[in-house]
Amino acid sequence: MYYAKNWLFSCGLVVLLGLGGCQDVTDDLSPSGSDQRPAVTAGSTGSQTNQQAPSFTAVDSLGATRTLAAELAMADGVVLYFTMWCPVCDSHMNHIRSSLVADFPNVTFLIVDYVTGSVVASRAAQLNNGYASFTVLADVDHALFNAFNGSMGTTVVIDSSGMITLNEDYKDGVKVRATLEALP
Amino acid sequence: MGAAVLFSPQAHAASCCGGGSSSSLVLPKFSRAMVDVSFDIEQYDGFWNRQGEHVSDPPGSDLNQYRLNVGYAHRLASRWQTSVIMPYVWNDNSYSGLDTQTDGLGDTKINLWYEAFDGVTCVWKVRKPSDLKPAAYFGATLTVPTGVSPYDDVDNNFDITGRGFYRLDGTMLLEKTIYPWSASLLLSYGKYLERAVNREYGKHVEPYDKNLGDRLLVTVSTGYTVFLDSMDTVTYTLALSELQEDEATINGSIDSTSGFKKRSAALTAAYATMDRDWVYKVTWNHALDRDGWGENFPTTDVLTLGVSHVLR
Repeated sequence: MYYAKNWLFSCGLVVLLGLGGCQDVTDDLSPSGSDQRPAVTAGSTGSQTNQQAPSFTAVDSLGATRTLAAELAMADGVVLYFTMWCPVCDSHMNHIRSSLVADFPNVTFLIVDYVTGSVVASRAAQLNNGYASFTVLADVDHALFNAFNGSMGTTVVIDSSGMITLNEDYKDGVKVRATLEALP
Repeated sequence: MGAAVLFSPQAHAASCCGGGSSSSLVLPKFSRAMVDVSFDIEQYDGFWNRQGEHVSDPPGSDLNQYRLNVGYAHRLASRWQTSVIMPYVWNDNSYSGLDTQTDGLGDTKINLWYEAFDGVTCVWKVRKPSDLKPAAYFGATLTVPTGVSPYDDVDNNFDITGRGFYRLDGTMLLEKTIYPWSASLLLSYGKYLERAVNREYGKHVEPYDKNLGDRLLVTVSTGYTVFLDSMDTVTYTLALSELQEDEATINGSIDSTSGFKKRSAALTAAYATMDRDWVYKVTWNHALDRDGWGENFPTTDVLTLGVSHVLR
């Protein structure tokens, strides 16, 4: 009888986990390493790699208007980093500042703040987090967040022709560096 | 917010004496099973950066996570027990320019414990050397990524309720009660299993292999039990914890932007009925928002309300 109860308990565990697996968001139980990036049409505009970046006009935390076209006209490329002023974001931005900025003087690095909701609050967060030297775009209406399918840590590299050459989560910086080194 | 899910404190439960000073779901000796339900209210209060400096959240932020933890422990044999804990997580984040509310299942923990003792080790007086013998538990915990991780089909980071990795922890818990005092030491070391990633926050990316760093948790606690006239007890426990996780690897290379440390203190009051069949607990887990108390991690306060029912 005792072993029968244990067996029933084990079955219960399996059922519990099975129920968890019924959700469509539990791919983690059996991760896939297959490349499922969708094919893109050459010359199309969108947020994916090898698409033309959507043009944008944004206000930075000092109140100045910035456009993608103007930034690209002055640089070999533009890097957008999406921040919510969290520890992960701070670690990434610190890494960008210490490991990438000096090595790519002809690339413009722009921090996109999509959470503070105003130019004033964005500036306050920028200074509070110690990033006065960066240019921070106050994405008040989430235009950039939506246009580039952003999230915490999303890093977008746009070359001088306006094509997106990288759009993914910032990790150890290796892939961003390789992408920047490959800029024309 | 995903990172925050990693540290969901377990419901404090009765251990060998039913006093509630342990830091894991541990079934008391001579008990058949136990059901444990707890609710965590976690409030964020800035974070520590990689240099260990405390940084405030953006002005106007109100960041919270709530977790309902349902646990069940079951005795397999006189020295063996197992348990499972499933959390359900609500994220409630409000910034000046953004409000989000999401919820979902968290990561599930499955535990197997071996008790290296046969009788109750709690004593009133030390009369012989063997009375000093502590209750020693040795356990293994498998964390199953049933939560919503950055690698699932999600819209953005606000949906995250889990880390997305399997983890195996080895744990040693030593506990000694000489009424009315008690003390415990918990050491836990965990290794994640490397996994493939082909999607981040809903976007398919070039596949790569990722592994999180090894994880170490050390908790020491001391408790004091008050016996009421009814022989019900109230046990007050103060616990100090140090948690750290090494840097992750991406395709085998160290990701220097990852890893963290966190130090915290927890105060628990546990009320147990005379027969120790019901234990009601409230825990306040506090992390000091001061420089040097953590690295690369959110600073949070967690209030936990819980109840355990022991089946004899």
